[in-house]
Amino acid sequence: MIEEEDVERLAKVAGLSIDPAHLPGVLTNMRILLAQADYLMTPPIAAEVEPAAAYRA
Amino acid sequence: MNMLDCLTELYGVCAIADSIRRGEVTAVSVIESRLERIKRLDPLLNCFTAVLEDRAFDMAAKVDAMVAGGRDPGPLAGVPFGVKDNYDVTGRVTLAGSIINRLRAPATVDALIAQRAAKAGAVLVGTQNMDEFAYGFTTENAHYGATHNPRDMARSAGGSSGGSAAAVAAGLTEFSLGTDTNGSIRVPSSFCGIFGLKPTFGRLPRTGTFPFVHDLDHLGPFARSVHDLATVYDALQGFDRHDVACAERPNEPTVAGLEHGASGLRVAVLDGWFQDMADVQGRDAVQKVADILGAKGKVTLPGTQRARAAAFMLTATSGGNLHREALRSQAGDFDPATRDRLLAGALMPADAVLQAQRVRQDYRAEVLTAFRSHDLLLAPATPCTAVLLGQPTISVNGADVPTRANIGVLTQPLSFIGLPIVTIPIANGAMPIGVQIIAAPWREDVALAAALRVERAGLAGAPMAEPC
Repeated sequence: MIEEEDVERLAKVAGLSIDPAHLPGVLTNMRILLAQADYLMTPPIAAEVEPAAAYRA
Repeated sequence: MNMLDCLTELYGVCAIADSIRRGEVTAVSVIESRLERIKRLDPLLNCFTAVLEDRAFDMAAKVDAMVAGGRDPGPLAGVPFGVKDNYDVTGRVTLAGSIINRLRAPATVDALIAQRAAKAGAVLVGTQNMDEFAYGFTTENAHYGATHNPRDMARSAGGSSGGSAAAVAAGLTEFSLGTDTNGSIRVPSSFCGIFGLKPTFGRLPRTGTFPFVHDLDHLGPFARSVHDLATVYDALQGFDRHDVACAERPNEPTVAGLEHGASGLRVAVLDGWFQDMADVQGRDAVQKVADILGAKGKVTLPGTQRARAAAFMLTATSGGNLHREALRSQAGDFDPATRDRLLAGALMPADAVLQAQRVRQDYRAEVLTAFRSHDLLLAPATPCTAVLLGQPTISVNGADVPTRANIGVLTQPLSFIGLPIVTIPIANGAMPIGVQIIAAPWREDVALAAALRVERAGLAGAPMAEPC
């Protein structure tokens, strides 16, 4: 489970500084996003499926 | 209600344009009427971020001069319209619901599809409220206030194009132009009980609008009838090389085929996720539409939950990327609800972003397979009817979940793969709810024809709201 210290560390690596007052909100949203990321990874996608650099329907 | 209000309630865009073209009423008188209505009702609703009175009268006078001179002003002659606050308007700074954009230079021309509407005779009367940078589904803007739903003032108009939808529902504009990245035309259409069209990705050029997620952003119109919606949409079509995503296709007008385009269609209801995440009212509304369209069977798309997750991921990460510099230097100037999500997106691992793009290709193939045996698919537009302003949670599939993050659960998987969708309003209780009529890529004509059939059957309708 990601914590506020992790958010601060990631932000530093990414060149962003996060006001301490904003950290709880950012943490909440990172947890939501990472939960969504779990859905992305399973089941596996065939290796032949490319990322869409420019999508056209 | 004055005489013109009666006229617009009964006939809308086309009746006004036809009356002006025939010289029965002047464009200036129409604009006077609309501006009076805006002055009376907008203090209650908060649809507009700016009302462009002088400009509207100037444009209306030009329309009247054309009629007087025997020239045809076009199919939208003198029809008042509004644009979402992320559309460029000449001489104004495109704020996109933010204060951060205040330092940008004023626009030197209108957004391209607003120009096209004006070329067809329509008269721009103002810019309309939205969630900051289009990142939201409720139009509760920390800087410019919340837009109220004209069918119940305690409720949200939906978002992010909430001001545009509420203005059409309340008759402040006859049509509006919005944007839809994850559902921002379809959600407010559903909440406000009006018709909305999100065309195929690449159909309408985004030139002159402020972006949110480049490869998810769509533009489209709102109106109070299908015929009006199609008439406006037809006037907006056309390739533009300045939008790299705009498809180089010929215009494909829809109005002429509306009456007969719904015969023999193969229609099915989307099952699984699209039923599980909707409440009883939404499911009932879909079934009623299905009965009218002669739907046979159901289609389940197993990849939908993952597609929604991918859309969610791409939105946060792309938005975080787009606003990276402002997040670094002006984080305190964002709406807090926007800022925290954008910052979270900016910190996501690249692995998740790339996987989301691959999921998109995978899901797209799955859905296009369904269109080999169907012309249209049906799904609710929102998990519930309009939420209360400030409502923190909604009940979805038996669980209480945060409102703002979940109102788009039924729209996100579909815009994610760029399909054309008409949202139609179904009065099925105290508040209306929208049903998405989903077509194969580039078949807006089929979706609009089906929408007309449901409207003609008396199931879908968008009476003008009288907020009080």
